Amino acid sequence: MAAGPRPTAAEAYRPNRFVSLPAELDPATFDASPEKRRAEAERLAIRARLKRQYQLQLNNPNPPAIIEDPALLRWAYARTQNVYPTFRPTPKTSFLGALFAVGPILFWIAVFKADRDRKEKLIQEGKYERPFSVF
Amino acid sequence: MLKVIFPMIMLIPMTLLSPQKLLWPNTTMHSLLIATLSLHWLLPTYHPYKNLTQWTGIDQISSPLLVLSCWLLPLMIMASQNHLQHEPPMRKRTFIMTMIAIQPFIILAFSTTELMLFYISFEATLIPTLILITRWGNQPERLSAGIYLLFYTLISSLPLLITILYLHTQTGTLHLTMIKLNSSTIPASWTGTLSSIALLTAFMVKAPLYGLHLWLPKAHVEAPIAGSMLLAALLLKLGGYGIMRITLLNPTLNYLHYPFLTLALWGALMTSSICLRQTDLKSLIAYSSVSHMGLVIAACMIQTHWSFSGAMILMISHGLTSSMLFCLANTNYERTHSRILILTRGLQPLLPLMATWWLLANLTNMALPPTTNLMAELTIMIALFNWSTFTITLTGVAILLTASYTLFMLLMTQRGATPTHITSIQNSTTREHLLMTLHILPLLLLILKPELMSGIPT
Repeated sequence: MAAGPRPTAAEAYRPNRFVSLPAELDPATFDASPEKRRAEAERLAIRARLKRQYQLQLNNPNPPAIIEDPALLRWAYARTQNVYPTFRPTPKTSFLGALFAVGPILFWIAVFKADRDRKEKLIQEGKYERPFSVF
Repeated sequence: MLKVIFPMIMLIPMTLLSPQKLLWPNTTMHSLLIATLSLHWLLPTYHPYKNLTQWTGIDQISSPLLVLSCWLLPLMIMASQNHLQHEPPMRKRTFIMTMIAIQPFIILAFSTTELMLFYISFEATLIPTLILITRWGNQPERLSAGIYLLFYTLISSLPLLITILYLHTQTGTLHLTMIKLNSSTIPASWTGTLSSIALLTAFMVKAPLYGLHLWLPKAHVEAPIAGSMLLAALLLKLGGYGIMRITLLNPTLNYLHYPFLTLALWGALMTSSICLRQTDLKSLIAYSSVSHMGLVIAACMIQTHWSFSGAMILMISHGLTSSMLFCLANTNYERTHSRILILTRGLQPLLPLMATWWLLANLTNMALPPTTNLMAELTIMIALFNWSTFTITLTGVAILLTASYTLFMLLMTQRGATPTHITSIQNSTTREHLLMTLHILPLLLLILKPELMSGIPT
């Protein structure tokens, strides 16, 4: 069989390690399946509803002092109050906890103890030079 | 001594019997007069203990803390006026009475010379604080905050009680001067180690030390403004004061200070870095309190003259600064009813006068020269450096992170674009400006005479 027509520049442009494929060159954006289009329509409906809520409050003749943003509230809740309820001790989290929480404490205890013992040994042997002499 | 305690107790009938219109002016004026009266404790004297009675005595460690606690009561009353204005009068009186109820116990705790009385007043300050947090907090999380506060402190202070009683049987007395005169009766064995741990742990939880600090962000965040000011400025210093007293009594000859010091210094670093990731403004200030008090604990652990002096200055400066930061955060909260940091942004064009106070509070928090915060942090850093050269990595990084999160807080709340969803903001009231002035004025004046609070025997 003869080779087909050469690929166009757009088709020859494929994502590599440094650059991802932009949405305009991705065939999936244009030939969207019905499920994808339905999902897109649902997301658009949610966005439109939120925007309508926001604009209703914003253009109210007696606007409230603060228009609350539900996404912000959920994000703040997830970051402040929902951390421990969604925590589960796994081997990975236990290892991370031991490494970053317990490890540095023991490390610094060892460092200070070694430093103090070295200084104590020098003082006992009379070799410690007092940096600030009172004389 | 009595000339301050009696007026303090008489504040309670004053709040109950004042006419409704004069409730706030009466209580504020009365407590300001008590604060002015308490200033005479700072006068120098060659006696080791001023105002000596059988059960109280004031020396250079207690007098700055006592003056701070008397000074803070009018500030707390002023700060609570706004969020209580819609409550019925009896509830307002109850709130003020809860605040006033803590004061005699704090004054007792800081001025007593007997360990048992210190323990009783130390524990007694918990109950009104618990009432303040769980009854007048704003979120449902205040219940868990109250439980954390209560049980952390109580569980750690039971060994303290047992060790105090044991000390009583060994020494026959619990008077601080007598214990100092008797040679240390703590044997160098497991009993000695355990009793030293027991004596210190209660104050470590209060101070708080890094591993035992979980109650603090919850309690500070959920408390009303008066509760936050009280906790940050006074109750944390109870822990620091307790550590100073205990380590002055029996210098720990064993290796206890290694874990405490490491936890304190590493905790200062860790909590400073946690501050950079906070979404809640009050939580940020609460973690910054943990960081500063970590430095205080580290300084108390090495027990040199300079470090005790630095710890004292840091306790007083941090008390005033932290209280001021909580008041500022509360002005934000009262306007937007939210503590989310990125919600109340770009306030400088809207409230420029309050931006001045924000700037001053953040400058003192990041230990800008010539404030006393800097004097304290430098003194502690140098004392720790002398103790061991490698501490400077931890303290240096902690101070760097302190500056960065303080700047983060300042720039986040003051600079930038005003969020579009805030449609109206009330003006800053004179009351709020007066509150900030009364916070920052002692801090600025103490730059001129820091020996008032440095714990140096005059």
